[in-house]
Amino acid sequence: MMKTFLRTAGVLVVYMIASAHVGSPDTWFEGNAGPYHVTVQIETAGVVPGIAKVFVRATGDIPQQVTIQANKFDATGGAPPPEPAIAGDDAGLFSGKLWIMSSGSNSVTVAVSGAKGAGKVVVPVVVVAYSRLKLDKPMGAVLAGMGIFLFAGLVTIVGAAVRESVLQPGDAPSATTRRRARVAMSMTSVLLAVAILGGWRWWNSEDASYVRRIYKPLSAVASIDRSTHNPELKLSITDSSWVHRGDSSWLRKNNGTGWTPLVEDHGKLIHIFMIRNDNAAFAHLHSATSDSVHFPTSLPPLPAGDYRVFADVVHESGFTHTMVTSVKVPERANGQAFTSSDPDDSYFTGAPARAKSRAILDDGSTIDWLGQDSPIVAGKPADLRFEVRRANGSLAALEPYMGMAGHAVVERADGSVFVHLHPMGTISMASQMAFAMRQPGDTIKGQLGKRVSEAEMSQMRQMATASGLVSFPYAFPREGSYLVWVQVRFAGSVHTAAFVASVRSAPAP
Amino acid sequence: MAIPFSAVPVTGAADAVSAEKTATAEWTIYAVLFASASIVIGLVWDISWHRTIGRDTFWAAPHLMQQAGAIIAGLSCGYLALSTTFAGSFADRSQSVRFWKFFQAPIGAWVCIWGTIMMITSAPFDNWWHNAYGLDVKIISPPHIILASGMIAVELGAILMSLGAQNRAVTEGDKRKFGLIFAIGSAVIMVMVSVMLSEDASIANDMHGAGFYRAIGLIVPLFLVAFARASRLTWPATRIAIGYMLIMMVAMWILQLVPAQPKLAPIYNPVTRMVPPSFPLLLFAPAIAIDLALTRLRKLNDWMLALVIGACFVILMVAINWFWADFLMSPAARNFFFGADHWDYSSRPGPWQYQFWNLDGPNGTWSTPAFASGVAIAIVTAIVSTRLGLAWGKGMSRVKR
Repeated sequence: MMKTFLRTAGVLVVYMIASAHVGSPDTWFEGNAGPYHVTVQIETAGVVPGIAKVFVRATGDIPQQVTIQANKFDATGGAPPPEPAIAGDDAGLFSGKLWIMSSGSNSVTVAVSGAKGAGKVVVPVVVVAYSRLKLDKPMGAVLAGMGIFLFAGLVTIVGAAVRESVLQPGDAPSATTRRRARVAMSMTSVLLAVAILGGWRWWNSEDASYVRRIYKPLSAVASIDRSTHNPELKLSITDSSWVHRGDSSWLRKNNGTGWTPLVEDHGKLIHIFMIRNDNAAFAHLHSATSDSVHFPTSLPPLPAGDYRVFADVVHESGFTHTMVTSVKVPERANGQAFTSSDPDDSYFTGAPARAKSRAILDDGSTIDWLGQDSPIVAGKPADLRFEVRRANGSLAALEPYMGMAGHAVVERADGSVFVHLHPMGTISMASQMAFAMRQPGDTIKGQLGKRVSEAEMSQMRQMATASGLVSFPYAFPREGSYLVWVQVRFAGSVHTAAFVASVRSAPAP
Repeated sequence: MAIPFSAVPVTGAADAVSAEKTATAEWTIYAVLFASASIVIGLVWDISWHRTIGRDTFWAAPHLMQQAGAIIAGLSCGYLALSTTFAGSFADRSQSVRFWKFFQAPIGAWVCIWGTIMMITSAPFDNWWHNAYGLDVKIISPPHIILASGMIAVELGAILMSLGAQNRAVTEGDKRKFGLIFAIGSAVIMVMVSVMLSEDASIANDMHGAGFYRAIGLIVPLFLVAFARASRLTWPATRIAIGYMLIMMVAMWILQLVPAQPKLAPIYNPVTRMVPPSFPLLLFAPAIAIDLALTRLRKLNDWMLALVIGACFVILMVAINWFWADFLMSPAARNFFFGADHWDYSSRPGPWQYQFWNLDGPNGTWSTPAFASGVAIAIVTAIVSTRLGLAWGKGMSRVKR
């Protein structure tokens, strides 16, 4: 019964915006934990404190023991002992549950050990309240039924207490006591009704205060500046808590969050994605900023139209944001140039290829979405493996594109889901490094960020060139039509392919 | 002269029966007392669990203890109701009240059954609440209030069962026996009351602020005065207060001995043993005053009595706790016996642990007029609370079924 209830409750979760990404709350990581290759999926509860489900899938060598441990981004707080993750029916699949108590930047440390030795990996998890559970009808009916029964029961008990409980054993109640009992029952009914009304109002106010606490990304606006020869997209973070982040008295007065500074994530302080509302045009841009508030960048020659704008940033605490806004791109005037602000900027226009099929790029090279043409099911690991071939059919030697063998951007056709993926998953490399490098002395804002950026740059340079294969660990959060843009770099330039995928809802459990 | 048996009035027959057999199914009185204690001790343990270990499940030991209490109370009283209704003797039925004009059981049994159902109802609601708003973000939440109401009902049901027996008892031995059971049940309720007050009035750091006295003045006299008035023992309030203090002290001592480790992050205070509750409130002092007033000032009307007891309660508590707080915050109290200086695993250690909190002046500073006016409010509240307690106690002293 409880299981059924929990399932029903799970289905009724209303997805709202999830931090770091939009509408895609799960955290995915793929990489090495010592000698083992693991994929870690973390489903946070949607409420804080809440219980996160952690799944660890080992491929290749299977470890004997897997433990998981949660902690907050806070070098001064100790961590509890690791919990064992239980091996599932599938070989190599381990799972466990972790209570995560604080919202914000948290981590899950996965430790594996077995015949090949032991290893550990820290997966950053952004924990925020993102969902609101509705009271479903059966549950509401049960509660209301019990409520009516308890109401009637208490009124009856009060009546019996006044009418009979004070009588000598065997005595019958007099007319006066009966009348007194009726008065007491009426008064109890009124008092109980008032108490229930008060409780109802209390519940509503708790609910309203919870809704206020539901995570909202920093607010931002975008506009197009055509005043110069080289038109620009101007993205600005307008959120007061960010604009006043250094003003401690303002923060105190407004109960604002003391945001830590932004840090570069694979070499860029911000990743801006523009996607036309009909999904026919896509751009991945970066910006140099002087104040971490205004982010101007050259506008590529995109077709005119209404665009959704998503902007990914990472804080020094490891907390990641995806800001969401929109912009209207006008027709480009003849002769207006495009000189990209950043060598890693890229854009794509054109029709998407079908899922699990071949996308042919402008120069004749191809990107194949590998795997059998079986249906893609929401909540189940999607097989996002891509093979890149040059025009002559040979496998392309992929070069690191901003430190990664590839980037994928997944968007639900209606814009309600957006996520920026890498072969290492949904996590930000910078936040993972922030967790690895934090020290108890990192109380001065910006200090850790500097070390993270330096380490990231050197790590990116060392990133080995991958083969023509690139894969992304991910599960589509719900049913619908999705666009997947895959970006790789080979032969010195960035190539983008678009796919459209239809995702089915998971069968009822 | 021989009186024909049929001529004996019904009440007389019942009296004869009750003289012989004071309580209907006496075992139920012990069962519900055990259930009541199980719930409260489980609750004290549960709170310590949350402060020490943090993570739990529906099946954690303290929860099982509370659930067992609810089930024992519900089943034993349910059985009593069914057996009285369908197979009860004349004496059993004559010592019961009717529910929906058909079912019969002593009033305490109905209150216990109601409490058990209330506790059961809170479980799915609380589970839903956790899924909807987070795991126990606040202790005082609507489902927790439903649970606490159910617990209090079971505990009140338990004392009503013994009260009926005490008030029917004709022999001195029975009066004393059921009187003691009633006093133990009342001490258990005082533990429950102190747990509910613990966020506002338990720790020494709060004892120099008027909020502490307002909180205890609002709730404690209501229960303590009512129980004292309903009891047939000598020094009832004092006995109940000492019973409460003993339960809390034993819980505090035992918990301190149990090794435990926090299982949730972040851990700012790496405790190695269960975090015990604070040293109990020194209720024995105002309890002596309550007992003296109830016996020596019997001629006063209830309003005057409430005035005396309410004022004495707050003034005594302020006078004693003022110095008691200083002692509890000194290194002298940081030992096994007094159990001071124990903090949750999630408390970040700092100077705040050794400072007074919630002082009444601006920005939490000391202000004599603000404290005095806060205490004056506490006195008024305590007078009202006492007056209600006197009325309730009078009602309880008449319960015979």
